[in-house]
Amino acid sequence: MRSVYVLVAVFALLALCGPMLAPHDPTAINIPNRLRPPGEEWLLGTDALGRDILSRLLHGARWSLGLAFIVSLLGLIIGTAIGLIAAQGGRVADWIAMRATDTFLAFPELIAAVVIAGVLGASTASLIFALTLTGWMRYARVARGIGLSVSNRGYVIRARLAGLSPLAIARWHYLPSLLPSLIVVWSGMLARAILGISTLGFLGFGVQPPMPEWGTMLLDARIHMRSTPLQMIWPGLCVVISVLTINLAGDALRDALAEQDAKT
Amino acid sequence: MIGVFAGLLLRALFVLTGAALATFALLWHAPGDPALAIAEARYGQNVSKEVLGFIRAESGFDDGFWTAFWAWLAPLMQGDFGQSSVNGRDVWPDLVTAMSYTFPLALVSLALGLAVSVPLALIATRRPGSWLDRGAVALASVGVAIPAFWLGLLLILLFAVQLGWLPAMGAETTTHSILPAMTLGFGVAASLTRIIRSGILEARGQPFLPAFTRRGVARRDIARDHVAPHAAVPVVTVLGLELAFLLEGLVVVEVIFARPGLGSFLVNAVFARDFPKVQAVVLLAAVIFVVVNLAIDLIYRSLDPRVSCRDA
Repeated sequence: MRSVYVLVAVFALLALCGPMLAPHDPTAINIPNRLRPPGEEWLLGTDALGRDILSRLLHGARWSLGLAFIVSLLGLIIGTAIGLIAAQGGRVADWIAMRATDTFLAFPELIAAVVIAGVLGASTASLIFALTLTGWMRYARVARGIGLSVSNRGYVIRARLAGLSPLAIARWHYLPSLLPSLIVVWSGMLARAILGISTLGFLGFGVQPPMPEWGTMLLDARIHMRSTPLQMIWPGLCVVISVLTINLAGDALRDALAEQDAKT
Repeated sequence: MIGVFAGLLLRALFVLTGAALATFALLWHAPGDPALAIAEARYGQNVSKEVLGFIRAESGFDDGFWTAFWAWLAPLMQGDFGQSSVNGRDVWPDLVTAMSYTFPLALVSLALGLAVSVPLALIATRRPGSWLDRGAVALASVGVAIPAFWLGLLLILLFAVQLGWLPAMGAETTTHSILPAMTLGFGVAASLTRIIRSGILEARGQPFLPAFTRRGVARRDIARDHVAPHAAVPVVTVLGLELAFLLEGLVVVEVIFARPGLGSFLVNAVFARDFPKVQAVVLLAAVIFVVVNLAIDLIYRSLDPRVSCRDA
């Protein structure tokens, strides 16, 4: 199980340092050498504009994985805040926060993201906005659920009676109980965000060419499916392996936490 | 029970109103002048100021957000989805045509997913930890991680380009639906296998089961009367998520296989900035989603007597 965490670290490193390892400029157009098969100079070949596919994949890690990290982290912050407000703020706040959550859950997430990103105009900023806006609800539900169960415990009631501010109570008494579950939800949402970013990129609503995001790369590769089918394999493989790794790490984390719970 | 039902219904209505409001607000705040977009779509470039003013008054754009929202919502509640801002045609008939492509595909994919996942989970849980079980889990884990658009492209590459067995594009005949249904069905099967498997394993661990065994109840009867209902609860709970997954997959799959269903309808409308069409599809998706989730909630309550005791 530990090896899964190592793999996650490898992917994180790849997202951070991938561009430094790239042998070529990922956006440098080189028409004479277009659609080259894998070889010595271009390890995975070149695409329709003669750009090195390996370099594009390495740079793409920063887009696909890096953006997914940002989006899921923003969702975590917003969702937790809304969930804690619902748990701590009394009946009216709870009702409003939960109906807002229900309303956002009324749309299939990816469809809502396509519409939001498309209507605002395809760009990286609207991609982040669209996926964050459609990705906070699960955190809010989990944060509220655990928050409500914690709020009746003695130490929270005593902290409240002692006059601690709601913010301090949230920080010192709610967050420690919330964190394990939130991290498990986060791993699932991170995997979803990678899939979402590549799907939107593939539909043309995500990261715009010439930037080498994996989904956007597949959009290009699709046209040359007949002549260079291998070109279509690499970006998809990158998405699958990173999503699989994060899902397995999330499962391992959840099992480890359940074991810990069972011990105490 | 009636009280619970009324409560759930009220909540569904509230959510749908919120969804309509959110949809309208997004398009209201979209960059660009919506009146200009409608005018250009109808009359071409170089629209006169008078025409723009007419369209603004007609759509209620001048009178502020709430008036415009009402001008849109009131006919909508009578089933009038308005006209496309690009070609001026009524949205509803086009929407119905699109649905006639989407719904059969969705149902077939769901059936395919169930037909694969239920037997696979049953075989896998016969001996947990065996190579068969591990294989099923591995297949399901990979299946969940594969994006629908990539799987679709790979299937096209194999069955249409390399082998030439099946058509890749269009929706004229039933053979055109085979690859899209396989793409969607695989995703559904993968995620359902995981859930059904863990549902069965958890149900098997229930402390009351040995009591039945010792009383001499047949294994078969225990599985049918006690394990199956227990395992069904988590499966029914995630069916709503499964539906979302299916709808999302449909959008991508229809685009890849060039099927003129709801997904292509939506993507084309977004690209063309045809807002009446976008609004119609988004609201339709929300209605389907909320109604199905309401139904799931009710089934869940009838399956698990403990839930209906608590308030809605």
